[in-house]
Amino acid sequence: MEILPQLILNSIIAGSIYALLAMGFNFIFSTTKFFNFAHGSYACIGGYTVFYFSKSLDLPVFWAVIIGVAAAGLTAFVLDKTINLPLRKRKSTNTVKLVASIGLFTIIQAVIAILFSSQFQTLSDSSSTQKIYEIGTGVITQTQVIMFLSAIIIFAALMIVLKFTLFGKAINALSDDEEVAKIVGINTNKIISYVFLIGACIAGWAGILVGFDTGIEPTMGLHLFLKGVVASVIGGMGSVGGAFLGGFLLGFAENFGIWKISGEWKDAIAFGLLIIFLLFRPSGIIKKWNISHIY
Amino acid sequence: MDNMQATSGGGGSTAKWIIGIIIVALVVWGLVAANKNKNKGGSEKSMTKSEETGPIKIGVSFPMTGDAAVYGEPGRNVVQLAVEEINSNGGINGRMLKIVLEDDKCNGKDAANAAQKLINVDKVQAIIGSLCSSASLAIVPIAEQAKVAMVSPGSTNPKLTGISQYFFRIIPSDASQGSLDAEVSNKKGFKTVAFLVENKDYPLGVYEAFNKRFTELGGKTIKEEFPPDASDFRSQLTKLRAQNPDVLFINPQAPPAAERILKQLKDLGWKPQIFINEAAAGDVEFLQRNKAMLEGALGAEFFVDTTNAKSKQFAENYKKKYGTDLTFLSYSHTEYDAVYLIAEGLKAVGNNGEKLAQWSRTLKDWLGVSGKITIKPDGDRESGYSPEMVKDGKMVPYTE
Repeated sequence: MEILPQLILNSIIAGSIYALLAMGFNFIFSTTKFFNFAHGSYACIGGYTVFYFSKSLDLPVFWAVIIGVAAAGLTAFVLDKTINLPLRKRKSTNTVKLVASIGLFTIIQAVIAILFSSQFQTLSDSSSTQKIYEIGTGVITQTQVIMFLSAIIIFAALMIVLKFTLFGKAINALSDDEEVAKIVGINTNKIISYVFLIGACIAGWAGILVGFDTGIEPTMGLHLFLKGVVASVIGGMGSVGGAFLGGFLLGFAENFGIWKISGEWKDAIAFGLLIIFLLFRPSGIIKKWNISHIY
Repeated sequence: MDNMQATSGGGGSTAKWIIGIIIVALVVWGLVAANKNKNKGGSEKSMTKSEETGPIKIGVSFPMTGDAAVYGEPGRNVVQLAVEEINSNGGINGRMLKIVLEDDKCNGKDAANAAQKLINVDKVQAIIGSLCSSASLAIVPIAEQAKVAMVSPGSTNPKLTGISQYFFRIIPSDASQGSLDAEVSNKKGFKTVAFLVENKDYPLGVYEAFNKRFTELGGKTIKEEFPPDASDFRSQLTKLRAQNPDVLFINPQAPPAAERILKQLKDLGWKPQIFINEAAAGDVEFLQRNKAMLEGALGAEFFVDTTNAKSKQFAENYKKKYGTDLTFLSYSHTEYDAVYLIAEGLKAVGNNGEKLAQWSRTLKDWLGVSGKITIKPDGDRESGYSPEMVKDGKMVPYTE
């Protein structure tokens, strides 16, 4: 059997999720410039909110998904106001913010585990069969098609916002130089809060898709975060376009990398790629900043 | 980037404060720890009194978080039930039993921490655990050094056979599971068996035993491994499928991974003959949830005689206390037996790890809820597995 079409599809499926996480992560990073460890937790919140509303309260999936995305975004928005804003006002270093976000990540994971138990759950109904599309000798499910399409749509939407709106211009100004942005009258704290809201909504959406495609567990945040970060670094820190490309590059590298060797090497390939980029092209595919200047 | 340089001056003082607090905390902790060691000699005398009259502590090291928590949570309930029963019947010569539970997260690193805590802080002489082979393999050397007896109700990796005189287990080794599975495959006429194996000690042990026996019988295995916590198996499955195997052996550490694999099999539209390991076959709810995918799947389980009076009583008591049926029909029974065995050992030789370990080797046909237990000189339990197959979401004895 010809396995090439399926490997390509598998790469696209994995790449879509990495791209979604990396785009949200880089969008936030472009304004805050610290490694937000809690980014994977937003995905976790999205997935579990849908789980709660659709499985425990029997709400229609459509509404549960809307609430899930909103819950992830609002959590990030509120946490920014209550934790990151005071740290910014105190002019804390990025290291302090990183440590604070590790704390947040741990707390969110623990709270979710307490509320929903540590067991693996799936959002889709295991008895129902979803639509499967055949492409050549490969197959792809409906959820996976939605993953891919939403990655493209969100990429396009973010690009339009950044290029053509006042909000996007403010973000660009802020990401170039925060002090100057302040001087010209941009309310940077407000912008950053909204950027958190949007970035976390994207992560929440990714978490929900993962929940429908494979399933959710409280510890899923770290795995998603790490893959998102790898995709961001190889794509170019702070660049939304870079994150999109980085996500798919990572997806293809992982799935084609194990074509001839055993699947246990997947993570090693991902992080090997990261190290190669850090050594030979630290600015990533699309150069925005040089990562070694940020940390 | 200039602005960031400027702000770091202001933030530097916060960082200094944080580093300062960490250093102070470390110093205080160090002093306390040093003091504790100094007082060790003195406090031992005062401890002997409470050692004679206070409760006897037993260490329990189970996975309470992560995928393997599906074993740890019911395991804790079983252990608590057994301890309550023993205590309400007068305890150990008038002294109560007390369980100290630690989470080993099913991995060696956390298991070593759990064992260190149980041995050095709680001063236990016996540890029940772990369920995961990786965790047990890490605890054994620590228990041996401290002369603490250790009984595992669930670790089945062949590497644990004869590993230490302080270790014994009341569940048979995977060598018997793997080779029995290979014999069943051979009888079925399978030539190529595709393995999807989680790279942990337990699943690898099953694979190695299978591979050894199956190659002897003239068959061939192909294998793809995946790391713990993996959720994307598509490319591994794609590769295995391309080699047209007669059967797909799903061999994870715990049922959740098997569930993910089954879902992706379905998504890929591949419907192979399935073989599952005992970790998956032992989970009643997992079988029910996935009965459509698993119909006709093969497996083998360590056989527990659920019809004897003691075993029935156990199932009833469990349901009365927790409101649900027993989740695992093998581990639950061995966990319950582990507590009663330790209790009997304590009565026979006292709270002494070395004596308990020696005593364990004298067990012969000890009747527990999991059947008759005989411990061989290498610490393994005698008895074996029986072949089964899935029928309507349940494991039933294998028929041609």
